[in-house]
Amino acid sequence: MNRYKNICLKLAQAALLLLLCTPALFAQKVVRYDLYVSDTLVNYAGKEKRAIAVNGQIPMPTLTFTEGDTAEIVVHNQLNESTSLHWHGVFLPNKEDGVPHLTQQPIKPGETYTYRFPIIQHGTHWYHSHSGFQEQIGMYGNFVMKKRDEDKTFRKGIDDLPTVPLMLSEWTNLNPNNINRMLHNANDWAAIKKGATQSYVEAIREGQFHTKVTNEWKRMLAMDVSDVYYDKILINGENALELKTVDGQTLKAGDRVRFRISNGGASSYFWLRYAGGKMTVVASDGNDVEPVEVDRLIIAVSETYDVVVTIPEGGVAYEFLATTEDRTQSASYFIGNGIKQLISPLPRLKYFEGMKMMNDMMKMNGDLDDMGMNMSLNRMDMNVVMYPEITGEAGEKVDHSKHGMDTNNDANRYDANALGDIVTLNYAMLKSPHNTTLPKDAPVKELKFTLTGNMNRYVWSMDNKILSETDKIPVKKGEILRITLYNNSMMRHPMHLHGFDFRIINDQGENAPLKNVMDIMPMETNTIEFLANEEGDWFFHCHILYHMMAGMNRVFAVGDYQNPYLPDKAKAYNALQMESNMPHFMIQNDFATNGNDGEAMLQNARWSLGTEWRLGYNAMHGYEIETHLGRFIGKMQWFMPFVGFDWRYRKMGIDEHETNLFGQKNEKDTRRAVSLGFMYTLPMLVNFQAEVYHDGIVRLSLMREDIPISKRLRAGFMANTDLEYMGELRYIITKNIGIRAHYDSDMGFGGGLALTY
Amino acid sequence: MKSISKLVMVIAVSLSSINSFAQIKDAETATVTIYGNCEMCKATIEEAGNVKREANVQWDQKTKVATLTYNSGKTDPDEILKRIALAGYDSENFLAPDDVYAKLPECCQYNRALKPTGQAEAAHAHHQAASPANTAVENASQLQPVFDYYFSIKDALVKTDAPTASAKAAELVAAIGAVEMDKLTTAEHTAWMNVLKGLTANAERVSTSKDIAKQREAFAALSTQLYELAKVSKQDIAVYHQHCPMYSNGKGANWLSKENAVKNPYYGAQMLTCGETVEIIK
Ligand SMILES: [Cu+2]
Ligand SMILES: [Cu+2]
Repeated sequence: MNRYKNICLKLAQAALLLLLCTPALFAQKVVRYDLYVSDTLVNYAGKEKRAIAVNGQIPMPTLTFTEGDTAEIVVHNQLNESTSLHWHGVFLPNKEDGVPHLTQQPIKPGETYTYRFPIIQHGTHWYHSHSGFQEQIGMYGNFVMKKRDEDKTFRKGIDDLPTVPLMLSEWTNLNPNNINRMLHNANDWAAIKKGATQSYVEAIREGQFHTKVTNEWKRMLAMDVSDVYYDKILINGENALELKTVDGQTLKAGDRVRFRISNGGASSYFWLRYAGGKMTVVASDGNDVEPVEVDRLIIAVSETYDVVVTIPEGGVAYEFLATTEDRTQSASYFIGNGIKQLISPLPRLKYFEGMKMMNDMMKMNGDLDDMGMNMSLNRMDMNVVMYPEITGEAGEKVDHSKHGMDTNNDANRYDANALGDIVTLNYAMLKSPHNTTLPKDAPVKELKFTLTGNMNRYVWSMDNKILSETDKIPVKKGEILRITLYNNSMMRHPMHLHGFDFRIINDQGENAPLKNVMDIMPMETNTIEFLANEEGDWFFHCHILYHMMAGMNRVFAVGDYQNPYLPDKAKAYNALQMESNMPHFMIQNDFATNGNDGEAMLQNARWSLGTEWRLGYNAMHGYEIETHLGRFIGKMQWFMPFVGFDWRYRKMGIDEHETNLFGQKNEKDTRRAVSLGFMYTLPMLVNFQAEVYHDGIVRLSLMREDIPISKRLRAGFMANTDLEYMGELRYIITKNIGIRAHYDSDMGFGGGLALTY
Repeated sequence: MKSISKLVMVIAVSLSSINSFAQIKDAETATVTIYGNCEMCKATIEEAGNVKREANVQWDQKTKVATLTYNSGKTDPDEILKRIALAGYDSENFLAPDDVYAKLPECCQYNRALKPTGQAEAAHAHHQAASPANTAVENASQLQPVFDYYFSIKDALVKTDAPTASAKAAELVAAIGAVEMDKLTTAEHTAWMNVLKGLTANAERVSTSKDIAKQREAFAALSTQLYELAKVSKQDIAVYHQHCPMYSNGKGANWLSKENAVKNPYYGAQMLTCGETVEIIK
């Protein structure tokens, strides 16, 4: 409850600053906002944590303009680190786009920086920091551009409704930098928190042992629809909110309200549902669409939707519920006055059904196989197999046999709208009210990208290349870019284009909808197109922030743009590339009764520098350190050649010597050796390692770590041709601490505490 | 290896059992009315509300009053009541989700005194009529409301929602009574006189029953009568005459729908998309 103290402080600060940032209207209609960016402490989920507030508030203040205004936004950086602000979905000169190292230099601590651009469009947009991990901890806000009253596209009954901006976001008590590291190290703490471990014991309990074995045979780790666990979901910075009046009017039966909803989450998609009946979607990503009635919609990371809800009865407040795609968390907004009408929470996902589905789709070489379904536009959601509200509770078999329907070959078997009575929005249902076709005479440049990824090492890329491995893509000004995207990775990606709206090609012909974010599900192929008529370097990337930071980005360089803020463009691009392939560090040590076992690793998308040690408490048990520097090869990164260096000391008796399986002998107490070798991931996720040392000694080994026995119990083993072997069991207590018991042929039985950073 | 895993298991078990006792600290109490019927309701309400060391709920079946004891530093009555509402039980602060209420066992389906009554719902229907899609209603046939309520019953049966089906059927009975026969066309009038008796009887059967199987039986008969009417009555939109070959041990049954997509009212979620359109009436 001490969060309120903080809020009071924040309020006082905000009130003061409000005076400063009230938009000042000049004759030429310059609308100015002053934004003070500063560190703050918040308590959203039981712990006091650092966050970033702007003008003392989270989310950042809603910035409102009318088409035709000039925006002047002055950023005062009061942080100890550099910052930036990106105007998501807004058309502007490239130098105002707010991407550090690409369109400007980072705004340094203490610096004041002015963004200034004309407002030439309307709609619901938002803005956020494009630096480091700042968006995760509070730097997101609404950016609303109103239509002029005399606008020809003004829609009576929609554009004149009272509007309320809703900013969705998530909060975790963990430092986002830590989350990034844990994702790269395949730490399954998030799965434990969510109850989504999908271990062997759980598989057996649900009669899915075979499913689990097949999954590991195909070298997959347990998957979830999302991979970060959040402690709280927020709507406008609160977990539960009430809306009783709009514009000073008390809400009553029959009233309609238009929500301008932006998903400012770092990695969460949200299901949006309403207890008061169907919702009407009237715009997406700031662009009007023909009104469409739905029971629910999913809002991808960084998308915006304008949704109209109606209050059916007086005396009741209806719940508007935003639930994370993994269904573990939600936030409520109650609309109306009176007793609260709840909507039922989404039931838990049937994880093993999802695993079965993945097994069917995954080929042995790691490619996905859509089995001829031609998936696109979110119409087929493979995840419906996990949705109890559509495909029934786990274990419940639906008997269609008598009706002559073969479930396995039904073309609709992943189409949520055909399977159930719930209407879910998809991109095929979006239709622009206007003709959106591009000029017929403009030259067309066709591009194709395959979205690629590697779940186990958390490398996300396009055409198996991360940003740091690619140059900018040159585009002539005035060309039409038509981009076909195929998602060959196991997760969905909200692809966002800076500076332009694109058409999503669907069956609406001339009225294809305009958007600037397109969510693309695994195995989908979608085409987008836009006229590249604004010069500059425009970012195109996955908006799941941890995928973006892993390198799932490209830059379109339209024309030969001279950016006054970046005289040395090549150097700046290098800095951007570096930031998107930062090495991450992991260290682990087991303090056991019979010695210390541990490893440390420094890795980026392609390289791995790792050291393993085994330190006994006496010379008989020996001391051993092995260091490998390797490079991962191929899309799936199953193959890693390396060079190694070994040092070990072990006191042996006079006649003692070690003989390996090949009869090669090692008689020295101390051994220093350089090696060449490779590691290959076999089915069942067993690592096979072969190594030749400079003295001709060969070593082959097989090992597997982290076999998920039960929710928190992991097993591992190792055996090699030096006739050494090891078996271990680890019980996970917290994300950093485990209890480990192991037996090692050199050091014998031991038990102890395993610490991981 | 076995002994090692046992050891780990023992450690694991002892770790997880630490938090199983202790009383509620900083206890405060509150009393609230929670709507419910029986012993089973009591068990569900209390189980939903209770959280170890945080909240305890005692519900009195006679007075419907619950005593909430809770750790005021950790939770509040709203959180407890929300959990109870999500289990299906209304209180002063929260209304249970309709689908959760509908899934309560029959003996637990208490009277929802706090839910706004059907009058408001009629107002809602009227409000919708004002939207452009439904403006045609004004000059449509006298039989329009009859069809509308029939479709509502069908939708409820698709959802296997017996209470809603029953409520809509009651409104259908009223709508049948409200039809001004002198405003019907001759063809409509003849058909109307033919089916009127059966129509009323079947609608009443659906409305008075709480058993979804019985409702579906009556609905099958009701559908045949509505089909007779649909053939002669002019509709603004196409109506789809659909067929389920399985119902009633393979005898099959038909129904009418506004959509071509099959949503089977005789089986609901069990086999939602089973069936086919046999005729499109325009
Ligand atoms: Cu963005
Ligand atoms: Cu961006």
